[in-house]
Amino acid sequence: MKLISKTLLYYLLISLPLLVLAGLFSYFLIKAELRDGTDETLVSEKINAEKLIRSVKPTSIIYLSSDSLSNIRVVNNPKMETKLYDTLIYDLEENENISARILRSHFTVDKINYQITVVKTTMEEEELLEGILTTFTLIVGFLIFAFIIVNWQLSKILWKPFYNTLSQLNKYDIKNHEHYQFKHEKTTEFNQLNDALNKMIDKIYSDYVQQKEFTENASHEMQTPLAVVKANLSLLMQSPNLKEDEMDRLQIIENTIKKLSSLNKALILLSKIENNQFNDTETVNIKTITSRITNNYADVIQSKNIDLELKLNDDVFVKMNTVLAEILITNLLQNAIRHNKDNGLISIELKDNQLSVSNTGIPLNIPEEQLFMRFKKDDASKDSLGLGLSIVNGIIKLYGFKINYSHSNSLHRFKVLFKKDLL
Amino acid sequence: MKILLIEDEPDLRKSIKQYLHQEGYVVESAADFVKASEKAGVYDYDCILVDITLPKGSGLDIVKQLKDKGSKAGIIIISAKNSSTDKVKGLDLGADDYLAKPFDLAELNSRIKALIRRRNFDGNKSIIVNEITIIPEQRQVSVKGEAVILTAKEYDLLMFFVSNKNRVVSKNSIAEHLWGDDSDQMDSHDFIYVHLRNLRKKLMDKGCNDYVQTIYGIGYNFKID
Repeated sequence: MKLISKTLLYYLLISLPLLVLAGLFSYFLIKAELRDGTDETLVSEKINAEKLIRSVKPTSIIYLSSDSLSNIRVVNNPKMETKLYDTLIYDLEENENISARILRSHFTVDKINYQITVVKTTMEEEELLEGILTTFTLIVGFLIFAFIIVNWQLSKILWKPFYNTLSQLNKYDIKNHEHYQFKHEKTTEFNQLNDALNKMIDKIYSDYVQQKEFTENASHEMQTPLAVVKANLSLLMQSPNLKEDEMDRLQIIENTIKKLSSLNKALILLSKIENNQFNDTETVNIKTITSRITNNYADVIQSKNIDLELKLNDDVFVKMNTVLAEILITNLLQNAIRHNKDNGLISIELKDNQLSVSNTGIPLNIPEEQLFMRFKKDDASKDSLGLGLSIVNGIIKLYGFKINYSHSNSLHRFKVLFKKDLL
Repeated sequence: MKILLIEDEPDLRKSIKQYLHQEGYVVESAADFVKASEKAGVYDYDCILVDITLPKGSGLDIVKQLKDKGSKAGIIIISAKNSSTDKVKGLDLGADDYLAKPFDLAELNSRIKALIRRRNFDGNKSIIVNEITIIPEQRQVSVKGEAVILTAKEYDLLMFFVSNKNRVVSKNSIAEHLWGDDSDQMDSHDFIYVHLRNLRKKLMDKGCNDYVQTIYGIGYNFKID
């Protein structure tokens, strides 16, 4: 829900019951006031009637109003209490019941009992009340409407800098950092927000640059010492009269050096992908590359007694860097070989713009969502660098492709969805 | 054969020098750009190994300098940066080959031999190792005059052995030679054995001696007496 709608909703939620309460309160207050007024009129009419009785001392009924409802009559019954009450009177002219207020009291002069009845219709009061209520409702309605409009417009104006900042933030891409600078705003809070954001993204960017440079530089710096060790190891291997356990050790050292240098190369590759250093893109045919790479690995696959099912149906043309296309497919294939079992199966299918690589193998023992993370690897594959799938993921992300992993029928399956080059 | 080695890391320089010396090359070395440029300007070499990142300058400028003066020396760039831009730049300037650190000495040796072979147009076009004759231009192998049909990998393996004959070559270096960067991710080298077995069988079927010695734990030695 948008901020504006939410603000208005809260305002309405709070103000509507308040307004209704206020309405009810004024209704009853006005009603009571009006009644008091009526009652006062009635009482003063009664006092006038008493004055009249004292001076005239009538013996028969006296009508005090044209409609003969208010009157003074002589009654026999003893004293009654003064009563003030509402009633309905039938109006012959209008042919309807109308509400009225009656004051009935007794008055005794010279031992003659009089009954005084004064009546006042309350129709006008009710109409007045109705009128007031209608006006009140209309005013409140108009106020709410105006309030919504004003608030809406005001919010739009007041929050504009915020929405600008938000949309800028949404578009932020660390690779184009230079183009992002949050503007100076007149509103203090938004200005503070933008300042804080500027500081934050500058810090993030400098950390990012430092980190990417560090990974690459550190890896490069390590290549020369590795070369020294490797070269000396080669020379050492040439020496005659090496004992078996010495040879074993040389072998272990050599394997470790190889692993270190592979790790290094993979890290450099990964940072190059992430730093977008493979700029030159061309149209590559995934089918050709896949068949060339699988061909290159035929002997490796064979030596593990793995069956290879190759279903390359369509030519799939994709706009990307050729080297990265090769690395992508090689890594998927290597992954399928490495995590396979003896006499297993690898199935590669290329159809529409989708490449799927499936392989047999033991079930995953790391959570699926960690599959593409650096150095997250299955415990069973100690020799793995744990970078192959991170590299795959890096390439996928670079070009906006999609990859998903699924496991069914004891087959691990990676499915890559390319963006087709429309030529 | 005279080789100029331009490399600033003394330990690496020393070991490359030693390895190539054993191969019978005369190796001179330079540790920085100025000395390298001097030597390359004055003397003629058959092959020059040049590191890109040097104190006081770039190895690429030495490649340019050599080409400008019309040097016929084969040039191999050895660099810590395995970057395709550097590689393309180097090759565009006229370098013949590019080897990323950390490389294997056996690999370097076989690259130098291949380079020198390609450059020696006037010399022998075939390599003769006892009863084995190889014509590299046509990738043809024969034993005692009889042709042996080898697969691409078997041929590459034989050439690697011949280039590094009488030397222990490790399984890792063979894997790297045959599969290049792809060998990085391979955790077993069993499949080398398959190619080796086939190569041995094909050669011996034509009456060739078995020159391949298995060196326990490490690799193989193509031993020619």
